[in-house]
Amino acid sequence: MITTILTTIAIVGGMAGFLALLLVVAEMFFANYGEVIIDINGKRKLKVKGGSSLLSTLNENKIYLASACGGRGSCGFCKCKVRSGGGPLLPTEKPFLSPDEIKDNVRLSCQVKVKEDIAIIIPEEIFNVRQFAGVVSKIEDHTYDIKELTIQLTQPTEINFKAGQYVQLQSPRYGKIKQKVSRAYSISSSPDHTDYIQLIIRRVPDGICTTWVHDFLKEGDEVSFTGPFGDFFIQDTRADMLFVAGGSGKAPIKAMLEYLDARNSTRRMGYFFGARSRKDLYLDDLFATWEKSMRNFAYYPVLSQPTEQCEWDGRCGYVMPYFDEFIQDVNNTEAYLCGSPGMIAAVVKYLVSKGIPKEKIYFDSFA
Amino acid sequence: MKETPQEKRIHENMKAGVMCAKGFLGSDTRHFHEIIETDAAHLQTLGYTREEVADRMQALTNAAFEAFMGSITLEEHLIVEYTSFRGKLTCPFAHPGGFRKGSVTLQNTRNNITLCWTPLNIHMIREHGFFEGHGSEHRLDPDILIKALFN
Repeated sequence: MITTILTTIAIVGGMAGFLALLLVVAEMFFANYGEVIIDINGKRKLKVKGGSSLLSTLNENKIYLASACGGRGSCGFCKCKVRSGGGPLLPTEKPFLSPDEIKDNVRLSCQVKVKEDIAIIIPEEIFNVRQFAGVVSKIEDHTYDIKELTIQLTQPTEINFKAGQYVQLQSPRYGKIKQKVSRAYSISSSPDHTDYIQLIIRRVPDGICTTWVHDFLKEGDEVSFTGPFGDFFIQDTRADMLFVAGGSGKAPIKAMLEYLDARNSTRRMGYFFGARSRKDLYLDDLFATWEKSMRNFAYYPVLSQPTEQCEWDGRCGYVMPYFDEFIQDVNNTEAYLCGSPGMIAAVVKYLVSKGIPKEKIYFDSFA
Repeated sequence: MKETPQEKRIHENMKAGVMCAKGFLGSDTRHFHEIIETDAAHLQTLGYTREEVADRMQALTNAAFEAFMGSITLEEHLIVEYTSFRGKLTCPFAHPGGFRKGSVTLQNTRNNITLCWTPLNIHMIREHGFFEGHGSEHRLDPDILIKALFN
């Protein structure tokens, strides 16, 4: 009886071992895609080891597409056009792609596996994206839920970007957080300062990265980020500039105005900052300084729900009705918006109804 | 309880620090299936379906989203406010796509109940009947939720 049991165990164990070995061998032969070529924009060819996602393969070759979810297929940032070799479109990609993008072979690079030669098209600006290391030299509390970090660059020591662009800050493993995550934050400092960047970061309830920034990060800590990303920046025209942003959306507008101030810009500029109550206002003194140094700049804080404690006798309600104080010629006005999708949609609708062409409205939506 | 590979993945997604800082289970030691089953039974005794609950939450969320610069008062006793954050949330049950990273605060002035939820909560209630575990950041106890939404 015992002999039979032992023999059975030995046979079953042997079969399991054989199958495991077979799987390992199969993996080596069938899942080994060998070396494949990634053709980028028809100009550059990368010889890489196949088998990983397009996003991570490009990252390994120091080409950084934007990604806020670390390749989980949840942020939809890492889009690129795949001309050939990307395999079929996956159900995980469809929710992030418009019908036009699908038609145009746009894919989420984190979902595309590099199994064969592949030809892709990415914006040329991506080649300017680098991974940076730095040290937090300053942390300032602007409101009860907004902090501004100053990061002194250590490796490389210089960054080139346009005012309005963003970086992806990486939070490390901390506390119960077992993985690194990257989140997008607009740079709030001027590109004239190439040795440091500033980021304005609002606390997200239960957010992994912002909890780290607000509760764990200290001055002197080392951090890393990739960037710059984004196509939200100042247009090189003479048109009047209407800025609208609330909360941490103030970051890119601050960078733009600092940049324009350094050039003694004489363009007409008006910044409408929407906040709920006085406790949500911040950096007002800085913007007041710019009102003095730039004769054609005006700052318009608007409180939607001031309380008695606010002792507020300024503009109240929505920001849109106050645009008339600034707009003189709708055909010579550009708008720059940053903030929630709800705000962007409402402001765009209002501006278009006023006669400002849609193509002159530039925005960075939190969506 | 023996878990399938898919259930293991869902369970892993729900832990603290994977998709959000505190996770979806909080201090609740029950399996997520048990949390769902218990809440489903409770919801039934309250006389509501999860679709009705999700529809109501979605309607309030939409109204608050459009207001975007502060709270709005609906039906004279519901004060709703939507706060937007950059980025997207994903479903721990591995549904494709992302959900707006926003926070909805509802204050019912009739019974002084205040609740907070995210667009992901609405999805998890509608599609999975999941109200999160006790002690999680966005646990929505069906009893309190019904009082806040429908009283």
